Amino acid sequence: MFRHTPLRYGALVLLASAALFQAFTAEYFGLEILTEIVILAMLVIALDMVAGFGGMVSLCHGALLGVGAYGYAILSTKLGLTPVVAMAGAVAIAGAVAWVIGAICARSHGIYFIMATLAFGQMGYSYVFEAPLFGGDDGLGGIARLDLSLIGLDLNDGRSFALFSLGVLAAIYGVAVLILRSGLGRSLSGVMHNEQRMRALGLTVWRVKADVFGLSGLISGLAGVMAAQHVMFVSPGLLSWTVSGEALVVVILGGLGTLVGPLLGAAVFVLLKHEVGALTSYWHLVVGILLIAVVMSRANGIFGWIEARFGARIERRAADAVRDIDPREVKTDA
Amino acid sequence: MLETRNLDKSFGAVHVTRGVSLKLERGERRVILGPNGAGKTTLFNLLVGELTPDSGSVHLAGENVTALPVARRARQGLSRSYQKNTLFDGLTVEENLGLAAAIHTGHATTLRRDSLARPEVREIVAEVANQVNLMPYLHARVSEVSYGVRRQLEVGVALATRPLVLLMDEPTSGVGPEMAKGFHDLLNNLPRDLTLLIIEHDMDLAFDVADTITVLNYGEVVFDGLPEAARGSTLLKEIYLGSWEDA
Repeated sequence: MFRHTPLRYGALVLLASAALFQAFTAEYFGLEILTEIVILAMLVIALDMVAGFGGMVSLCHGALLGVGAYGYAILSTKLGLTPVVAMAGAVAIAGAVAWVIGAICARSHGIYFIMATLAFGQMGYSYVFEAPLFGGDDGLGGIARLDLSLIGLDLNDGRSFALFSLGVLAAIYGVAVLILRSGLGRSLSGVMHNEQRMRALGLTVWRVKADVFGLSGLISGLAGVMAAQHVMFVSPGLLSWTVSGEALVVVILGGLGTLVGPLLGAAVFVLLKHEVGALTSYWHLVVGILLIAVVMSRANGIFGWIEARFGARIERRAADAVRDIDPREVKTDA
Repeated sequence: MLETRNLDKSFGAVHVTRGVSLKLERGERRVILGPNGAGKTTLFNLLVGELTPDSGSVHLAGENVTALPVARRARQGLSRSYQKNTLFDGLTVEENLGLAAAIHTGHATTLRRDSLARPEVREIVAEVANQVNLMPYLHARVSEVSYGVRRQLEVGVALATRPLVLLMDEPTSGVGPEMAKGFHDLLNNLPRDLTLLIIEHDMDLAFDVADTITVLNYGEVVFDGLPEAARGSTLLKEIYLGSWEDA
């Protein structure tokens, strides 16, 4: 079950500070990169919820992001719904699709679960690629961003959109923490540790998996809506398995089952892509080498390595600090 | 409370359970004896729904539950502990008990709050921890406690669902004589209205706890009666109890 530690709080503060600094000081390209990181972070939080805390390694989260993006595009451009309603509708559709996928795949495990989710993802990709309603391989354009002029925000401005995206990411992170620390999240943790025993205790295991997968789909869908608003255009590539694969790489790179690690992973991945990509088109090689190094080191991603190396020391110091403040603790210990 | 009627189960050519019929009254404590391979654990798997019988039926509190899945039977009051510890190793003792208690109280799927923070769940956790002597270990991870404590927790997790019938598969398996003695007290101190069906090789414990004894051999019930009668049965001596009598 997820819990915050002093190190995790510290990492969150550092990441948030860096993001806010970037949002207020960066120019156009810097803001674009920040927004790209933030949207990827939303997707990997959704993936970490199911993979890191439920053992459900999904290769359809790219497709769920695509469902959210296309849902928003269709509802707002073709059906003429207001952006807020289209956004809510698209997120709900992505959640419902994810719940159905979760319910169907819940009885499979390991490689079979991965393959089943991959199949769902690729079915979605192929359908969108071929269907005229979705614009085929040309995609759909003319997608409007939310109108928040009532509160003085013009989301057509890159800085405002980056700040808005950061706000959405913070809300998503908070919701993910609440889910993982709820009764449902605790049961999910039980299912990951010992599915057979949870069933023997009376839990309808498939339902718990489907519910969490559905909630994860809602977040993926919201990431998709944000992606659609960011580039104001959607294409079938959003649903491709490579998007799911990249999200999985980011989660593993950052630290599976830490929720904070994938945020760090998203930043590292996007920055590597742009910084190394500016030098060579073979930037994937660098990411690949880094991923192999992380996996071979047996650390749980970059953040897992940091936690293993510094986590206990920081927790000890935090506990000492609390004892220094509270004299009753000192007496108890003595 | 729990009844089986002509339960049959085969794996290929091997007939593991042959026409097993049992009837346990509410609060009855029955011990199942039998040599290795007699079909005792298979019978448990049939009772809880982890295996489907080829024929026959299982009835819990008068209802035919043969077609019900494992989780539904558990929610109706059928709980089990396993011969090999089947715990949540990465979690604490308290969390292990809490998972079971949350399912029983209906808080296992709520989004509103951590189930372990619910007073009803905490109450069950504390009560069961007392029953199975786990209070000193509540905050220890399962991987950090001794094997004997894990055996106690194995029973505790099953108890935390507040079952009507508790099936215990060799609760003292692998524990030393001292710890086994502790299990005598633990079982004797369980609520009298709880129906117990226990697979056990420890004869002292079996005869100490049992109201009735059933002996399985090659998947068949070969004895069903009072402990005193079991002690005097020549058939049992031949198939199972010889070494115990000699000892």
